[in-house]
Amino acid sequence: MSHAVTCRHGVECLMDHAEGRLDRAARRAIDTHVAGCVRCQGFVRSYAATPRILRRATAAVLPAAVARSLRRRLRAARPGRLRTRRG
Amino acid sequence: MRRAGAGEGAAFDALVRRHQGRVYRLARRLTGNAADAEEALQDTFLRVLRRLSGFRGQSLFSTWLYRVATNSALMVCRSRRRRRTEPLDAYLPRFDGRGRHRHGADHGRAGRAEELLDRRRLAAAALRALQRLPAPYRTPFVLRDLEELPTAEVAAVLGLTEATVRQRVHRARLQLRGYLSHLVGVEP
Repeated sequence: MSHAVTCRHGVECLMDHAEGRLDRAARRAIDTHVAGCVRCQGFVRSYAATPRILRRATAAVLPAAVARSLRRRLRAARPGRLRTRRG
Repeated sequence: MRRAGAGEGAAFDALVRRHQGRVYRLARRLTGNAADAEEALQDTFLRVLRRLSGFRGQSLFSTWLYRVATNSALMVCRSRRRRRTEPLDAYLPRFDGRGRHRHGADHGRAGRAEELLDRRRLAAAALRALQRLPAPYRTPFVLRDLEELPTAEVAAVLGLTEATVRQRVHRARLQLRGYLSHLVGVEP
């Protein structure tokens, strides 16, 4: 079966492969192809790294001023809607 | 959460404090800029405030909150008149007639984008690239790969099958991987 696997086929199956959703024979066929294909080895590395790179690059921390503004907006919106529990 | 839904202000404040950071981060990723993210954040919690008493707990609170936040962010995006953005299709991998990679002598280089690019440039390019994904692809990718929700929860948030979520996340990854290749000077 391994002779039938092309780079294109391997790329199509990458996510299912990474999530362990392929059966044993399909997984082995992909692994065999990748082991002998330098281009696919680089592709698999960069495909696997992409979520992490995007996650780190777009991680945003809520600015304190935005949190204060949200609090003010919610307080203004809720008189009579939410009561404060006292005694 | 029950107390917040029953109308206790302090409980609602605590609920907002617990979730505001992740809602803002999600909105920033979906809208691509700080001003729109702030608007989506406010809209999300105003909707939560109005609807919390009706939340019956049929789904996880986090699933419900992500759904409200995602819809708010996408509505803010739609309300803006933006110039058209070029899709990322050009960065999908290319193959020759026999199904072999057409390029890729240095395919792995995209995976080293953090070492090879200035951090600020990469951050700005990453946010811009996300905006170039159509919303039906951007949203599952952001929820699954950036917010790290399980595929089943992403499917529940978006009302899609898990297979559709996986298919869209995969296509988004391929496009973004190709875009990172372009940034580091390699053919996709």
